[in-house]
Amino acid sequence: MNLSAELSKRFRQNIQTYAIVLALVALWILFAVLTEGRYLRPQNISNLFRQMSVTALMATGMVLVIVLGNIDLSVGKAAGVVSCVAAFLQDDFWHKILPSFLQETFANQPALLDAILPIHPLTAAILSVILGLLVGTLIFGILQGYIIAYLGVPAFIVTLGGLFVARGLILWITQGQTIASDQAYFREIGQGRLDVTFGWILLAVVIVLLFVNMFNSRRRKQKHGFALPNIYLDLAMTVFFSLLAFAYVLVENIDKDTVKEGIQNAGIQVPVLLLGIVAIIMIYVSNNTRFGRYAYAIGGNREAARLSGINIQKQVFGVCVLMGFLASCAGIVLASYVGYGTIAAGEGYELDVIAAAILGGTSTLGGEGTIFGALIGALIMTSLVTGLQMMNVESSYQYLVRGMVLVLAVYLDVTLKKNR
Amino acid sequence: MTPDASPATNDVILDFQNVTKQFPGVTALSDVSMQVRRGEIHGLCGENGAGKSTLMKILSGVYPYGTYEGNIYYEGQELKFEIGAIHRAIEAGIAIVYQELTLVPSMTVGENVYLGKEPVNVGVVNWNKLYADTQDILNKYNLDVDPQIPVRHLGVGKMQMVEIAKALSENAKILILDEPTSALTEAEIDTLVEILQTLKSHGVTCIYITHKLEELFRITDTVTVLRDGKAVTTQLTKDLTIEKLVRHMVGREMKERFPEGHRQPGEVVLEVDNLHAESPRVAGQEILSGVSFNVRRGEIFGIAGLMGSGRTELVSTIFGEYGKVTAGTMKIEGREVEIKSARAAMKEGISLVPEDRKGQGLILKQSILKNISLPNLEQFSGLLNIDSDAELKACQQQAKNLDIKTPNLLAACDTLSGGNQQKVVIAKWLLSEPKILIMDDPTRGIDVGAKYEIYKLMNELAEEGVSIIMISSELEEVLGMSDRVMVMCGGRSSGILDISEATQEKIMAFATGTA
Repeated sequence: MNLSAELSKRFRQNIQTYAIVLALVALWILFAVLTEGRYLRPQNISNLFRQMSVTALMATGMVLVIVLGNIDLSVGKAAGVVSCVAAFLQDDFWHKILPSFLQETFANQPALLDAILPIHPLTAAILSVILGLLVGTLIFGILQGYIIAYLGVPAFIVTLGGLFVARGLILWITQGQTIASDQAYFREIGQGRLDVTFGWILLAVVIVLLFVNMFNSRRRKQKHGFALPNIYLDLAMTVFFSLLAFAYVLVENIDKDTVKEGIQNAGIQVPVLLLGIVAIIMIYVSNNTRFGRYAYAIGGNREAARLSGINIQKQVFGVCVLMGFLASCAGIVLASYVGYGTIAAGEGYELDVIAAAILGGTSTLGGEGTIFGALIGALIMTSLVTGLQMMNVESSYQYLVRGMVLVLAVYLDVTLKKNR
Repeated sequence: MTPDASPATNDVILDFQNVTKQFPGVTALSDVSMQVRRGEIHGLCGENGAGKSTLMKILSGVYPYGTYEGNIYYEGQELKFEIGAIHRAIEAGIAIVYQELTLVPSMTVGENVYLGKEPVNVGVVNWNKLYADTQDILNKYNLDVDPQIPVRHLGVGKMQMVEIAKALSENAKILILDEPTSALTEAEIDTLVEILQTLKSHGVTCIYITHKLEELFRITDTVTVLRDGKAVTTQLTKDLTIEKLVRHMVGREMKERFPEGHRQPGEVVLEVDNLHAESPRVAGQEILSGVSFNVRRGEIFGIAGLMGSGRTELVSTIFGEYGKVTAGTMKIEGREVEIKSARAAMKEGISLVPEDRKGQGLILKQSILKNISLPNLEQFSGLLNIDSDAELKACQQQAKNLDIKTPNLLAACDTLSGGNQQKVVIAKWLLSEPKILIMDDPTRGIDVGAKYEIYKLMNELAEEGVSIIMISSELEEVLGMSDRVMVMCGGRSSGILDISEATQEKIMAFATGTA
């Protein structure tokens, strides 16, 4: 097969993925033109990725939720609850409530108190993260999942209820106050950057892995007698992705002008790195584990999956727990990134998350959707927001545009599928 | 109760002329000509798949004009329903009461009867008129139902009456009843017969589709027999006997369509004793009423029976995925087992190739590979990974053994032909290396060549010692492939025949409950 024929075949096979990537590129070019190039400045690109990290973290889980044929309306506020729990622990608990409690209880053992207090900020941060994840996963993963999977209440209803509960919890925790959460160490999760050198090393590792992966896949195809794709095409793709990774690291590693003085402004951002790790794990889980396969099978044909001996309740429960855990992760990043917990935390994020998954090609009928697509979807949603903001478009119009883009994208997808 | 043997008139209301209907790869109707006279009750019978439903779907506009060949004249005019014009048939006075009830359970009788055509005053439903009109219809045809009761409170028999009232609310001239008695009790059938007589006295023409031969003699004036898409005969009911009718229904010779097997059934592997089960949907409704049989190693055990006889319910119950077992026992290799899920069945070495290939067997949008490996993933995966090399190897082996024709295993199943799709379903269940393979109508809707391959495969498996339970709607297939045949009727086993003594006539007699 010649190169152009294979290129067009590959394009047709993955038309949905390519279409959305092209849409993203087109959007960036449009904004670049409209903002006379300001949109593509390193500072803005860097912000873009950081801003998408919270929704994108949740979107990776939402894909599996929707693939199963369910929905989760509680994720935004679930993240909000976790962010407030973390902020409360950070600001009040470790440094005020717990010390005074210990001092009262162990007043006659000053040696013990000296050993424990003051709690080291790193210890505090680690404990906050663990407790935050626990609380979030317990309520929005395990409890909601149990009700959905084993008690059979529709996910729509359970998570709608969860949304209200989350609002109540947030009010209860914060008492309507804003709680600071930008203490040392904890702040690094959402605001930190990697050392520049370390960034370059990471890049090198990623590029090596990309190439290893490519050759591995070719070797396996050969072993099983499948037709090998054109080597130049494979190489070109790998080089292309390597260049993308390089471009991103370069952008992040450049010293950017920031308003704040004395803040490290070069280096890969920690939340983006976290997102990258989660994304790779989720892509692996969705493609290369029984858990992932079963989710797609159930969404594709529930009856066939059931008759194939798949325990549907267990699977639904598992996906709910995963979603709850990811929402909790997003909540931790959110708290650290904005620097406080507040009653508005996570408000409306569920809509962005669902929109990202749908934009990324996840079918609301279930059975279809990719994590990669959802990441691009999240990037598109965030790009829209930042672009419109940069053009000083009023918020009212921003919402209008976002809504229309979502419907338009799904309309195009529907038309595309019909004509294929 | 005997109907007036000579129909009201000799005036033809409905005339099918040389109707042929093809589906991809299958000819459902071939050159069917038949006439229905005004005011008669015209029975239509034939085996499953003989073409009865297809013929009625053409008549009611489900398959529009142009998708079939031939002509249909109704009241002297040719019927030409365009696409999506099912309502035109209703307006013309042709109404169907389908086998599956189509009522909205939460709505009242009146609302159901006038669904979609409620009498309105400036957009507001005139409830008084609706209920009054419903009552009029019910009175006119002696239907004893309260129009204000929600349908879900009614029994199946009364629901059927509501269906009929709904059909008649459009001033139907022809009423088609598609197996109306399959869910009715004897008393309800008596009522239905009375209703049909009333309709007849009002000049309504009836086409009555049924499997149950004795009903034909009880109700109809004329009978048309369809077989393999052809109208074999149309005769006055009084000129027929059950024996004659059965011969018309099955009357074909066994062709050399089945590969020769060298099966040697061994010891008993599966023993089902007095199995009773309830419907999972309707509490208390018994779907299996004491079924007993056994299957031996390396045997092909055929299950025959008409639609609704409980065949599929039986095997689904054995597989742990249908009814609630209320009594009876099941033994595998002498050990009593209780199977409550597909998973448990698989652990006991039972596999089920389900009846509905697309709805239950496959995930059409996924690849052949993923479909074959789905129930077997545990063979080549840990908790955190799937050994995709092993998976691919195993699936390739299956695809090769079964000769699945595809350029590659990553092709989606919806790109395959019916026969190859069925092979994928079989492959997925063979990979789990079953001791007992249940195949529910394994050759339905696939072409002759693929059927032959599947028969060959069944022989090979049986020779290797797998016990196969095969449900089939085709009598020839049952006779051609089985070592023994169990015939089911009304949720019971009405007879188990050794292949040496089984004939189509005998099976049909057991299946229709006339033995």
